[in-house]
Amino acid sequence: MASAWVGELAQRHLDAAYNLGRWLLGNEQDAADAVHDAYLRAARSAHTYAGGNARAWWLAIVRNCCLARLSSRQRDAQLQSIDAPAVAAALPRSADNEVEDQAAAAQSGARIAALLRALPVEFRETLVLREIEDLSYREIADVLQVPIGTVMSRLARGRALLQRALETQETAHGL
Amino acid sequence: MDCKTALALLETYLDNELDRADARELEAHVDSCAECAAALTRLGDLRQSLRNQALHYTAPAELRERVRVAAAGALPSAPQAARRWAMPQWSRLAAACVLAFGAGGTAVHLWNPGQGLANPQTQIARDLFASHWRALAAATPVDVVSSDRHTVKPWFAGKVAESPLVRDFAEQGFALVGGRLDYVGNERVAVLVYRHGQHVIDVFVAPRAGSALTVEPAEQQGYSLTPVRLGDQPAVIVSDMDREERARFAQIVRSAQ
Repeated sequence: MASAWVGELAQRHLDAAYNLGRWLLGNEQDAADAVHDAYLRAARSAHTYAGGNARAWWLAIVRNCCLARLSSRQRDAQLQSIDAPAVAAALPRSADNEVEDQAAAAQSGARIAALLRALPVEFRETLVLREIEDLSYREIADVLQVPIGTVMSRLARGRALLQRALETQETAHGL
Repeated sequence: MDCKTALALLETYLDNELDRADARELEAHVDSCAECAAALTRLGDLRQSLRNQALHYTAPAELRERVRVAAAGALPSAPQAARRWAMPQWSRLAAACVLAFGAGGTAVHLWNPGQGLANPQTQIARDLFASHWRALAAATPVDVVSSDRHTVKPWFAGKVAESPLVRDFAEQGFALVGGRLDYVGNERVAVLVYRHGQHVIDVFVAPRAGSALTVEPAEQQGYSLTPVRLGDQPAVIVSDMDREERARFAQIVRSAQ
């Protein structure tokens, strides 16, 4: 079958796809649905793959499906503005989140996870691809379809925001 | 290396995207500067906390199974379209996916130039400068190193919709160094790299007519944008040459056959 390789590609990078979806959409169900959509879309458009980094091609499709979900969710919420804070506000805080947060609270990652989740989406996704998925600048640029310079400035900005948030929290908790 | 340069390069270094010579210089500086060493440690600590396994979600078995079933039952794919335009199709597909749902973010601005959004020209100019600066900071400003146009030209084939006209102007003092790919706006464009004395010159070549790669001449921090035509394709020269040299190079590019 012509698109069998897409299935293999999707399986090989399923964790990366799901992780990205999970950070973009904020909950398990939406992330899984978006990745499933992305697979169908990728299989249909396998012929548009023109060489280059296949993982980046796949993750770019996953990301677009996530963004589509994000924005339809926003529309449902009747939000006018589509800027980043509104996107963040549109993320549902489901019971799932709470349970997960509590479970994670036992671990040292909880604090940083909460701060990362609070970052505007463009910084959050760039940091997730760099720090968690370990993509190169070039790969991130391919996924986000932006120039490498933009990737670098988003990383710098995102890291600065996170560092500041961490420090503020430490001061507040008297650590 | 001074602190200002060092601080600007710390993240590139940490991300393993700094070339070896710069990395060695940076390491030497950090060894002797407590302040920069502290900044690097802070960045390293942040990385450590972000690499915590708790932040790494793994796909549920149920999703893996769903994709497996979908892949096994996939219908034979639609007739293959001509591969020639594969890249633009992919871009359009991605754009359509987002636009159809009216998603936000800068992506839409870039895909939707001239629809009442923030001046797209400014964004293009910013991308061009950013790409040039990033290339200067990188290990090498080129992806394919060659002064031989017969090597550079075919390298672009299949990577951009239209391979640019590739000429070496070494005799006129502008030696072809190689080429690379970058994104400007949402377009993947070919970049030809020339060297003139100490100057590195980027020539961004628009993939086709109607491309968003059109700018007014502009200057920023000693660097300039000069729109020209290369063969029958619109192009933009980015460099830190002075006005005279710039005009001379533009003339040479324009008259290339």
